[in-house]
Amino acid sequence: MPALFLNLLKVLFIVLLYAFLWQVARAIRASLGPVGAGGRRPPSEVVVIRGEKGRGERVKLRAGGHVIGRAAEADIPIDDPYASEFHARVALVDGRALVTDLGSTNGTYVNGRRLGQAPTPLEKGDTVQIGKTILEVR
Amino acid sequence: MSRPVEAVLVAAACVVAALGVATVRFASGSWLDAQVFATLAAFGVAFGGLHLAVLRWAPGADQLLLPLTGFLAAIGFAEVFRIDPELANIQRWSLLVAAAAGAVVLRLLRREGLGALRRYRYLFLAGAVLLLLLPLLPESWPIHGATVNGSRLWVRARIPGLSRALSFQPGELAKVFLVVFLASYLADRAPAMAVTDRRLGPLRLPEPRHLAPVVVAAGAAFLVLVYQRDLGASLVIFALFVTMLYAATGRAIYLGLGAGLTVVGGVVGYVAFAHVRRRVAGWLWPFADYFDTGYQVAQGLFALGSGSLTGAGLGLGRPDLIPAATTDYIYAAIGEELGLAGTVAVLTAFALWVAVGFGIALRSKDRFRKFFATGLTTLVGLQSAVIVAGVLRLFPVTGVTLPFLSYGGSSLLASMIAVVLLARVSHEERP
Repeated sequence: MPALFLNLLKVLFIVLLYAFLWQVARAIRASLGPVGAGGRRPPSEVVVIRGEKGRGERVKLRAGGHVIGRAAEADIPIDDPYASEFHARVALVDGRALVTDLGSTNGTYVNGRRLGQAPTPLEKGDTVQIGKTILEVR
Repeated sequence: MSRPVEAVLVAAACVVAALGVATVRFASGSWLDAQVFATLAAFGVAFGGLHLAVLRWAPGADQLLLPLTGFLAAIGFAEVFRIDPELANIQRWSLLVAAAAGAVVLRLLRREGLGALRRYRYLFLAGAVLLLLLPLLPESWPIHGATVNGSRLWVRARIPGLSRALSFQPGELAKVFLVVFLASYLADRAPAMAVTDRRLGPLRLPEPRHLAPVVVAAGAAFLVLVYQRDLGASLVIFALFVTMLYAATGRAIYLGLGAGLTVVGGVVGYVAFAHVRRRVAGWLWPFADYFDTGYQVAQGLFALGSGSLTGAGLGLGRPDLIPAATTDYIYAAIGEELGLAGTVAVLTAFALWVAVGFGIALRSKDRFRKFFATGLTTLVGLQSAVIVAGVLRLFPVTGVTLPFLSYGGSSLLASMIAVVLLARVSHEERP
């Protein structure tokens, strides 16, 4: 066999290996779902990811907003001794998700930072901590 | 439900195998022949069959697991064929048997699912121990142990009417059984084991009785080291225990304890056993005793070095000069003939495989399935890391196979079962 032909074959084989891996990587990327443009869509729900009760519970965000708190009348009642009766409100306003602390005793934390008085915009993947309960925005 | 991504990529993996074999044939001056078509047929039947089995009995499974497995098996097979066509012939049959076993496992689990495995955990523990002890059977029995290269890992069975004795390495399957047991055991015990109440100076320790499994694991691994003289298996089993404990509890203390016991075991092994000393000498000073302890390591380094960036080309190097080139040292053989480009492709495929496995673990719905997927992924990832590190001289050579690539039916069978079990975990994550 001429050496040139064998060299070409070798390169072809290696190219095939990487073409395969490239396709696998693309398939993994596709299975992760839309990123980029899709990521800028406003969050649609909050999920309780850590707490005494209701872990995994998900609530769709709405314009009127949900009040989170220890009170039974809260829209999202949480069983947490460090939470206030009516602790915070999450709501969709003009296509943005906002969280507002309702003057709670122990404060509301977004990604570990304590909120002030003003409504704070939320993005997908942000965590909201109330007492020992943690909610994730998705 | 169809699985188009898997179908296309599995077909591509079969083409990789056939093209590899064809390249080897061209390099030796012959034209396309029966070997190429036999390879294409064997891979097509094995992985096509597994694809259909997954489609039927685990249709929700991840679509990339099987193609990556096929891809690794294809590269390994091409290299095994290049070194020894006779062995490749046997390996083709092993591949078919392993795929059939995988399909059978999927079918057995189709109704009950993995919950059945969880319930019978002590059966799996007993099975694993039995399999590990099997090579110690005396030579005069019809099914007996055998010593190969100083390690007593093999079991041979004489079957009437068959000229060759059937031999296998039960330890390979024992590792998968151990993962079943550990995942089930830890799923029940992990919450208690994660509590670290006792204090010893700055260290926070778990209750002593929760440490018992780690000590038992170290003991078992050490027994394997002593009685079977198998450094690799003992290391993989012990590291598997420690990693699963860490994954289950999230306490770094288990990792620290494991590392400490590994160092202690290593030192004791070095002092007590000549075969451990030889491995360490070959690792640290391969050229000091080139013709004896350093020979394999040195040959592996020469192979990797001469392979350079794109290698000599399949069939154009001399990988037959490396001892154990088809099994433990297949990574060096690939490095010689496909170069850095080939070995990086292999490592990338392993990395993606492990990423897919841990992704399945993260998405699983309960503790048992999480730990089970973690264990299976760790088993394959760890074993490949240990032997690749050995070949690259980052670590003493410990004589384990490179999963999916090395020649060897037992290893292929066990790895394939790990793949279908992972596929099943992945399928069950969907409600």
